[in-house]
Amino acid sequence: MPENPALDVEGLTVRYGATVAVDALDLHVPRGQTVALLGSNGAGKSSVLNATLGLFRPAAGHVRLLGRAPADAIRSGGVGAMLQHGGLPSETKVGEVLTLVRRRYADPWPLEDLLATAGIEGLLGRGVDALSGGQRQRVLLALALAGAPPLLVLDEPTSAMDVEGRQAFWTTMRGLADRGHTVVFATHHLDEADAVADRVVVVDAGRVVADGSAAAIKSRVAGRTVSFRCPGSRDGLTGLPGVTAVGGVGELVELATSDAESTLRALLADRASLPGLEVRGATLEQAFLHLTTQHTTTQHPTTRTVDERSTR
Amino acid sequence: MTDLLLFQLRRVGRNRQYVFFTIVLPALFTVLFTQVFGAQATADGGQADYAELYMVSMMSYGAIGAALGATIRLAFDRSTGWLRQLRVTPVPSGTALTVDVAVGALLVLPSLVVVALVGRFVNGVELGLGSWLALIGVLWAGSVVFVALGIGLGIALDSQAAGAAMGIAGTALAALGGLWWPVEILPGGLVALAHAMPSYWYAQLGRDVVSGNAPSAQAVLVLLAFTAVFCTAAVAVVRRRPLHAVAG
Repeated sequence: MPENPALDVEGLTVRYGATVAVDALDLHVPRGQTVALLGSNGAGKSSVLNATLGLFRPAAGHVRLLGRAPADAIRSGGVGAMLQHGGLPSETKVGEVLTLVRRRYADPWPLEDLLATAGIEGLLGRGVDALSGGQRQRVLLALALAGAPPLLVLDEPTSAMDVEGRQAFWTTMRGLADRGHTVVFATHHLDEADAVADRVVVVDAGRVVADGSAAAIKSRVAGRTVSFRCPGSRDGLTGLPGVTAVGGVGELVELATSDAESTLRALLADRASLPGLEVRGATLEQAFLHLTTQHTTTQHPTTRTVDERSTR
Repeated sequence: MTDLLLFQLRRVGRNRQYVFFTIVLPALFTVLFTQVFGAQATADGGQADYAELYMVSMMSYGAIGAALGATIRLAFDRSTGWLRQLRVTPVPSGTALTVDVAVGALLVLPSLVVVALVGRFVNGVELGLGSWLALIGVLWAGSVVFVALGIGLGIALDSQAAGAAMGIAGTALAALGGLWWPVEILPGGLVALAHAMPSYWYAQLGRDVVSGNAPSAQAVLVLLAFTAVFCTAAVAVVRRRPLHAVAG
């Protein structure tokens, strides 16, 4: 029997007043994939995830989680979620909140293993109001995992974590993916998407502008980066063949070029030495900027941010 | 649902301010105002039933605080994101609201019982067992109007406004509704205002019972009308802004 896809979104449209936050977006995620929704703030990632979870009714479109309506999928224990505006109840202990939520599931994740996986061993007796931002986030992760749900939806899950917490978190997520869980997460951290996701869906102005593996998305940008150290003047670099932009910090010069070979020939002809020379393919960041700047002229980010907050 | 109910009750019980304002303070007032100022009133040839009436006022005051304080917490649970979090767990939507209504209704009882015990054993109020039960019963049933008000405020306001509203509503209902002093000593304009307050009619239920009568139809009707208004307003607001919506 073919399994229902983990997540199936068709023609999703979300409007806040006159602003279109999500514009007829399609997203199909088969079981077992780890998918990053990548986009800048206000690109519509949260709107997509919140509408997917049934937290509000979209203006148009069709959402199925594990083949069911969102509310049904959640009630049956098939979905766990970390929300951007989710939180914990005051005047409680971590253990009490966990117990309350775990009891809702017929077959909850075994407690010891859950605590270890979420990295909150020793916090059971801690008051919720005394948790640090990172601890809080990990308790919320434990709540999302409490029912060992086949589908995890995570909206910027690492936003309150430090670097180490972040690494531990993604190690956990990779472990879950290996155990067959489907993980869909929103992020604006390109390194997270690059390192963790099987598939990166770039969202901009409420639309999917690229969808594929991180490598495939990087290859969408034909350009290369030529870098070297240059203590002296940078005059003339912009005029070199193929060069589209000049960047770099301090002595380091980074040339974005559409034709690395011509740029290099010209550089070598021009200069006696090129210390620290490197030629690289595009980073995900460059690909991301390349993909998203094409759309930015039509939106008004300030208005949208305000609208999103008030309506969500 | 039982586990969520116990969970919520435990949370409120941990809040020392809540316990102080809804149980300790009304009990203290009952003793203080009856033993210290009430003695004066009785010596002046005032009402012998002063202790009785003041006890009813303080039962009402405590119950109003308990009902409002327990239910207005919805605003805090919304602003922390807990209600939104619950929404993505297998808790049926609507359960959180139902539980908070139940919490508000249940927590009225300790206030009523403690002040009644103080009235009986400290101030020597004598009533038959049937009257005691009837008194607690009508004040418990009548507190539904303040549960409805607290739920409405909790749904409509963000956490900061809810904290302020709690203080203002509690004080206004007590002071203007004649719970802290008898309405009879107020000037005419304020008497009319007192008669417009649900707290006046709520305490009237109790005054009717201790004077040996059934609760007056007028009091019951006024309270039902207020309850209907508060419920309608709460439903209208929750339709526009569901509990799991982000505050602000």
